[in-house]
Amino acid sequence: MSRQRKRITTGSAARYAALVLMFILLAGPLLWQLSLSLKGQGDDLYAQPPQLVPSHPTLSNFTGVLDRVPVLRFVLNSAVVALLVVGGNVLFATSAGFALARLRFRFRGVATAIFVAALLVPAEAVIIAQFLLIRSAGLTDSLLGVALPAFVAPLNVLLMRNAFAGIPDELEEAAVLDGAGIWQRFLRICVPQVKGVMAVVAIFAFVAAWNDFLWPLIVLSDEQNYTLTVGLNMLKGTFYDDPRLIAAGTIVALVPIIVFFAALQRFFMRGLEQGGIKG
Amino acid sequence: MSRTFRWTTAGVAASAALSLTLTGCGVGGGGSDDSGAADTGGKVAGKITFQTWNLKGGYKQYFEGLVDAFEKKHPGTTVKWVDQPAEGYQDKLSADAAAGNLPDVVDMGPEAARTLADAGTLLNVAEDDPEAEKDYLPAAWKAMTFKDVKGGTYGYPWYLNTGPSFFNTALFKKCGLDPKNLPKTYDELFDQAAVMSKNCGSKGISMIGRLPTIETFGMYGAKLMNKDGTKFTFNDAKGVELVERYQKLYKGSGFTEESLNALQTGEADSFKSGELGWLPGSSYTLSDLKKTAPKVAESVAMGPLIANTAPNMYLESLVVNAKSKNTATAKAFAKFVTDPANQMAFAKKASVFPSSTGSLEDPYFTKDDATDEGHLRVEAAHQVGTSVVWWPPAFSGTSDVDNLREQIAKALLGKTTAQQALDDAVKYANDRLAKQ
Repeated sequence: MSRQRKRITTGSAARYAALVLMFILLAGPLLWQLSLSLKGQGDDLYAQPPQLVPSHPTLSNFTGVLDRVPVLRFVLNSAVVALLVVGGNVLFATSAGFALARLRFRFRGVATAIFVAALLVPAEAVIIAQFLLIRSAGLTDSLLGVALPAFVAPLNVLLMRNAFAGIPDELEEAAVLDGAGIWQRFLRICVPQVKGVMAVVAIFAFVAAWNDFLWPLIVLSDEQNYTLTVGLNMLKGTFYDDPRLIAAGTIVALVPIIVFFAALQRFFMRGLEQGGIKG
Repeated sequence: MSRTFRWTTAGVAASAALSLTLTGCGVGGGGSDDSGAADTGGKVAGKITFQTWNLKGGYKQYFEGLVDAFEKKHPGTTVKWVDQPAEGYQDKLSADAAAGNLPDVVDMGPEAARTLADAGTLLNVAEDDPEAEKDYLPAAWKAMTFKDVKGGTYGYPWYLNTGPSFFNTALFKKCGLDPKNLPKTYDELFDQAAVMSKNCGSKGISMIGRLPTIETFGMYGAKLMNKDGTKFTFNDAKGVELVERYQKLYKGSGFTEESLNALQTGEADSFKSGELGWLPGSSYTLSDLKKTAPKVAESVAMGPLIANTAPNMYLESLVVNAKSKNTATAKAFAKFVTDPANQMAFAKKASVFPSSTGSLEDPYFTKDDATDEGHLRVEAAHQVGTSVVWWPPAFSGTSDVDNLREQIAKALLGKTTAQQALDDAVKYANDRLAKQ
């Protein structure tokens, strides 16, 4: 009895040690940013050993961010882009995934292969060509121009394809016998089965759109249209930086992501369980 | 990533050249921006766009005032001012150049300017206005004149920066050195570095925190390029001597392994954490120290930049788009921004130095007002007068810089000799230049 208890404690101790280690690795930098954003002018940022608790705590860095950068305007722009991208991905990746998984048509294999191949092309390699395309469409310096290339991400299409492929054929066959058309089978039978994965796609699309920097930087030139990532870059000093201000900006940019994730967390966890191979 | 010297981000070189070739096969039907032929003799009127690089955050009022003053001086003109964020400036420039989207007047360093000039995107401002040369300091004008790009001058020099050596005197005391006898020459620097590491090396303290860069070679006395500016030559006797000094220092563990890979920001961070005795700084290093590392700032002392030849300085310029539809207005505006009065006003606001002739004789730069900042300003301004922009514009801020650092690190680790390391670095840079 006692031997068993001991084994359990060592086991769980190791487990907790691993968890704590992961926590430090993942949450440490974030915690450091948070502490940096709260440090006042009297704090020595380079003190040895590093101080986590500010000795001159202040919120002035956050007001500094709001003074220097029209955060609300940029959040709004980012939200518009994120909404477009999330909408586009949920709508079109779902449709395309359904088509690739459950419809029979010629070149289906080729079409799937093209999506896989698209995964392998680094965005930086085609960014100039993409910019010329957006420019000839007259969409430079517009939020639509920022959102358009990310409208349907190949990864999301493949995620949806796998999710649809996992639905047992019998389910759809039964619907066919009941006289359901293709749209009814898509909307009524298959989509409800993959809601979790759709939430995952929504989150992926949101985070990618929210965090993208290089593409919006290239497309946008008017400050009015800046997204948050590009706009927050204005916090960098011209000749030297105030790390406190930048840290405060990072925290501000993080809040919407946390809110979005918290709202979708229920679906997200379910989606993760559903992802991959399923009966 | 802090960007203490603005040129580092000017690493447009390879990427811009690559993307410019793309214009030929780009998507058809381009916009109207690239259709206008240059009408150099035209009237100063119409609309132009002026792009600065990350100057809005600190100097918004100054630039708005500047634009207003110009529009008042030349009725019928409109200047649209845009400011680009700090990160990714080179990517933005190359994308814009490739798409024919470059603004009329653009703020950039000599290296970026040379790449774009080589691709035919920039106006040779000396061609029909040779008189302009006398309005700028010779060293600054020379830095914008590219011998290997038809010998033209592809931009008006704007502001300059240089700075003194900063020393952490607390470390000098702690490690058996006399803070009253700060190093002034390379001999003294390397001698004292050896003493410092002998006494304090075990505590992770050293004098020098970064491998020599291309500017260091210039200041040490190596000849960086041949006369025509077509080939690099810094693998000469002086260059080898410099690397051998670092080798010797490394053997006596006066140079940490970590420093082998340090960039300028890493060097500054080590200095701020009190692990470094010497930091070649700039005119804004002092305010940076006071703001982020007050403890080190208390014990900091300044001395002249250490150089055998001439001290180094960095330059920002204003270039004019060769395809601008209002070339006359663009040129007039670029000259207006870089004229003595406006440069002076900007220098006072931003603690940089004007490149316009005569501006450095202003009492602001010659009279020490007995503050730390005033002392620094006067010293550095005095230094500008003798400084050279050592950075060769043909030296790529990305690949050549990295390669040079890696080669020198190899030499320090004993994997190759100093001569071989520099030969390889020179060959690499020359090969890349020949391919452009």
